[in-house]
Amino acid sequence: MLDASPWSITSVLLGGIATLAIFSFLVRENAFYRFFEHVFIGLAAAVLPVLTIRDFLWPKILEPMLGLDIVVYPDGTVSEPYQPLYLLYLIPMAFGSLYYFIYSKRHAWLARLVIGFSLGLSGALAIRGFFAEALPQIVGSFKPLIVYINGNFSAAESFNNVLFVATLLLVFNYFFFTFGKEGSIQGKIAPLGRPLLMVCFGAFFGSTVMARLSLLVERVQFIVRDWFSTILQIFGYG
Amino acid sequence: MIERRLIYLLMIVAVSIPVIFEFSWPPSRLVSAERMYEVIEQVQVNKGEVALLWVDFGPGTIAENKPQAEVIIEHLFRRRIPVVMLSQYQLAEAVLNSIPREISARLEKEMPGQSWRYGEAWINAGYQPGGAQMMQNLAAAKDLSKYFGRDVSGMPFTHYPAFASIGGIEHVKLVAEVTGLVGVFDTIIQFFQKSGYRPTVVHGCTSITIPEAYIFLDSNQLHGLLEGVAGAAWYSEVLKQRNPQSQNEALLVRNTALIIAHVVLILLIVAGNVVGLVRARRQNRA
Repeated sequence: MLDASPWSITSVLLGGIATLAIFSFLVRENAFYRFFEHVFIGLAAAVLPVLTIRDFLWPKILEPMLGLDIVVYPDGTVSEPYQPLYLLYLIPMAFGSLYYFIYSKRHAWLARLVIGFSLGLSGALAIRGFFAEALPQIVGSFKPLIVYINGNFSAAESFNNVLFVATLLLVFNYFFFTFGKEGSIQGKIAPLGRPLLMVCFGAFFGSTVMARLSLLVERVQFIVRDWFSTILQIFGYG
Repeated sequence: MIERRLIYLLMIVAVSIPVIFEFSWPPSRLVSAERMYEVIEQVQVNKGEVALLWVDFGPGTIAENKPQAEVIIEHLFRRRIPVVMLSQYQLAEAVLNSIPREISARLEKEMPGQSWRYGEAWINAGYQPGGAQMMQNLAAAKDLSKYFGRDVSGMPFTHYPAFASIGGIEHVKLVAEVTGLVGVFDTIIQFFQKSGYRPTVVHGCTSITIPEAYIFLDSNQLHGLLEGVAGAAWYSEVLKQRNPQSQNEALLVRNTALIIAHVVLILLIVAGNVVGLVRARRQNRA
């Protein structure tokens, strides 16, 4: 049920118009569509700096550094003493600001210091992240080919695991280019990896279509349930 | 050559039918969604312990992720597990605010006399930039309440008794991540852990990211998964079986419209191939 506040009604009406504008692209490229596309891009771009300042830079960095988060009570006592260590934030802030020297031909090398630091940091994080993510998956791929559940042989689970391991090995083999494959058993079974990959791509494509259709259904639901009923309410038919 | 706009029109008409007439079919049973329900059902929290819900989606994937976030919050609220809501995605701002309020209003209407208030049932920690570095800091924090400091309205976490001193990562009993963004969910798996403790992680993904999410499910890095609208629909059905007053009609209508869209799509693919084959044969004969 719709909230009847003017703000809510306006946002639903605008949302409906924007949705129809974007859908109008299905008929043909037009100015109505382009206008709302640019509005959305502008909104999305503007939200990021605003939220970064409001939710992170101001409350977590600037406010404590400037001592503005300290409450002074009527009796003159304070909620917490000022921590001068917060001033250390100025060092990484100053270092990060060197990035702006990228606009100077003479001092561009200063920006490269920041870029180099960022690359090193990202590389280190990626290595740590890779091992934390991939190792359990590698271990998880070592599946028993004969599965017993509560002491009973499970044909379905065994088949699943055999299929999994066979797919894993065949696809690995397909991408194994170190030695020449001509005439070898490895070369003969290599093409078997391709149809398995095609099944995987098909699953990806199918799931992509499902996601797009979900978006369509949600918008149709919005237009029919919210937007259209709001218009009816405005004209006194709701 | 068929006018492609006729196909678009056919698809819109097809999905509009269940939406206009508000009919729905029962959703299919999804084992991973059921597994997720049982995982959340088993979560036990003591005073000060919480669940973290990452709401990392915006308008682009709201169709699939919003129902998922709704059913997860409803379940956590029904179980009275305090929820810290936060996001790595700046466009999630609106849904971070609206979803728990909608769910709490619905539950309060369903159970008069009971309440789910902001600061007791949930808190909004807002947008958390920094990706992997932020996640590492979060996992290393001695007290998450101090790490977050304030909620989105600027009120200190210490103002709310349920969230005043959460403690370290070991007091996070459940991490739920709802997103369709590639790389966002991975950050939690990679960095939100510390020596000797890895919280239970569940995930609501969009249809596009289902094949990737299965890898995590298979390796037990993930303890439950909601697959697109279908996953949320089945989860809501399980919720309704255990709590008959739970409302999931709109979600089931959406799932039904999706089923119809799939059937139309399959029929169009079959028809297109048949027409193509017939034409090719005619051309060969000619």
